[in-house]
Amino acid sequence: MQRKDPLAGPRASRPAHAHEAGLEARGPVRLPLEVTDLSTTLFTRRGEMKAVEGLSLAVGAGETVALVGESGCGKSMSALSIMRLLPEPPARIVGGSVRLNGRDIVPLPEEAMLDIRGKEIGMIFQDPMSSLNPVATVDKQISEVLMAHTGLGRFQARARAHELLEQVGMPDAGRRLDAYPHQLSGGMCQRVMIAMAIACSPSVLIADEPTTALDVTVQAQVLTLLKSLQAEQGMAMIFITHDLGVVAETADRVVVMYAGRKVEEAMVDDLFEAPLHPYTAGLIGATPVPGAARAERLADIPGMVPPLNALPAGCAFAPRCPRVMDRCRIERPALTEPAPGRRVACFATGTDTA
Amino acid sequence: MERFAFLGRFARNRGALAGALVILGVAMAAILAPLFFPTDPLRIVAQPELWPGEDPAYPLGTDSLGRDMLAMLVHGARATLLIGLFASAVATTIGVGVGAIAGYFGGWVDEISMRSSELFQTIPNLIFVLTIVVILGSTLQNIVIAIGIVSWTPIARLTRAEFLALRDREFVQACRSMGMGDLGIILGEILPNALPPVIVLSSLVVAGAILFESAVSFLGLGDPNVASWGRLVGDGRELIRSSWYICAIPGVAIMVTVLCLNLVGDGLNDALNPKLRDR
Repeated sequence: MQRKDPLAGPRASRPAHAHEAGLEARGPVRLPLEVTDLSTTLFTRRGEMKAVEGLSLAVGAGETVALVGESGCGKSMSALSIMRLLPEPPARIVGGSVRLNGRDIVPLPEEAMLDIRGKEIGMIFQDPMSSLNPVATVDKQISEVLMAHTGLGRFQARARAHELLEQVGMPDAGRRLDAYPHQLSGGMCQRVMIAMAIACSPSVLIADEPTTALDVTVQAQVLTLLKSLQAEQGMAMIFITHDLGVVAETADRVVVMYAGRKVEEAMVDDLFEAPLHPYTAGLIGATPVPGAARAERLADIPGMVPPLNALPAGCAFAPRCPRVMDRCRIERPALTEPAPGRRVACFATGTDTA
Repeated sequence: MERFAFLGRFARNRGALAGALVILGVAMAAILAPLFFPTDPLRIVAQPELWPGEDPAYPLGTDSLGRDMLAMLVHGARATLLIGLFASAVATTIGVGVGAIAGYFGGWVDEISMRSSELFQTIPNLIFVLTIVVILGSTLQNIVIAIGIVSWTPIARLTRAEFLALRDREFVQACRSMGMGDLGIILGEILPNALPPVIVLSSLVVAGAILFESAVSFLGLGDPNVASWGRLVGDGRELIRSSWYICAIPGVAIMVTVLCLNLVGDGLNDALNPKLRDR
């Protein structure tokens, strides 16, 4: 709000951290999405819970960043914070900035957000069946988004909705316009959701476990669709998932979260090749590998994510960590950058000096 | 296709179908009353206290003043049904408005509206209606408004409960993520989902409103220019020991209509309630 020119600000000219690999060549780019030090706290009767703490994240145009972690590690809270869709109260953004195409949206009033959501930033949800209004037709739901953000009239919106359905590969699109969600399959519902999310060509798309509720063959179709739409429109995409198989298939870069904090960030190949954080290693170890010996048991990570109001004093992962040291229980490791574009918050692996 | 499916589900409940047909008949009679009985029904046309069947010209007999019972009954259907419908409309408008806002926004808005609805509920209904009618005056509109003011609270509570359940559903979140505002979400997204049970309750409020109006008219506080069924019962009460039919005929008409409205309400519930639907 107070900033005169978003482009002239000190942050905008700084190349996004951990981003050198993909976008350095284009010089100081105004990134579609740049999250800096974002912190979200839940103010509840049982105390303050830090759902997201100091999260920094940058996504370039056409790039996919996967946000990975167990349930309850703050993935969805991060997404909702970025959308400014937190349930307030109890949740509130307590610090940091979310720069969407160069503009910080954290201080914006809700009315301004209405215009931004759906137009500059779109979101796809986990369960497509329940993400569509059960009593409205597909046409009405897509048209509503179009009419809210563009000057289209009712009939133009319907024509555009038809185009969008064809674009997302809906079979028999013309007939499906007048269908109700319960007449569609899960995969078709997700296609409708995607059509709604990309209706106004947003520059950022957040996909919150978009394939979790779908069966495997449909999953693959939806992933392919998202990838091709992203390539067409050059969207920046945040892909929230706990399925590392999906990560390997879709993401360019991966951010691993634990207990509301980023614990590791790396390009996708580096991450799978040599995970630095013991938690990342645990996640990868817990993923079944096709062709592995049948008798081999999957590794698991013992214990659970600690409740957010009872985080240990040191590293939040210390109680479950196989490589825990005395220092981990007292001091919280900061993010270090052992290699360009690679970040990790761990005493055992980082070249930590702080 | 959807519409026919709805009618099919409604008709599967035989009682509801019968009720709907009877209500339809009463409504037709009410609409066509001036055709059947073009003259003023309150005109004296024959000798008083003719029993039903005594004179073929007056199949339901005449009252203590010699007015045609059938003409009054048919014309009374107009007043009675109109009062029921409009009072229910008033109650539904207030109830849905308050309930939607309370349920959607929650917090202190919810607190204030629910506490005030409780305030309304603590006052005995009939006494409340009578008080309002006495203060505002005995005209048809005032009776309608009074019944509406008394009957909105259950509708508000039901609407609030539906909104509470629906506002955290994923599709509402999805709409918010597309940049829809609160008003758009309340009216365009949640309300259509919340309506079915509310419609059922509104249909029952119609029946309740008819009973309220009958009570008000029976006590002699009804609109003196309108021959509603309640007033016919009230007019006949002095002769109840000799010519009891004067009370009984409009009384039965009220009973049958209210019963049928309740049956229709049940049928609507079966047809609109997604949990009872077998897909």
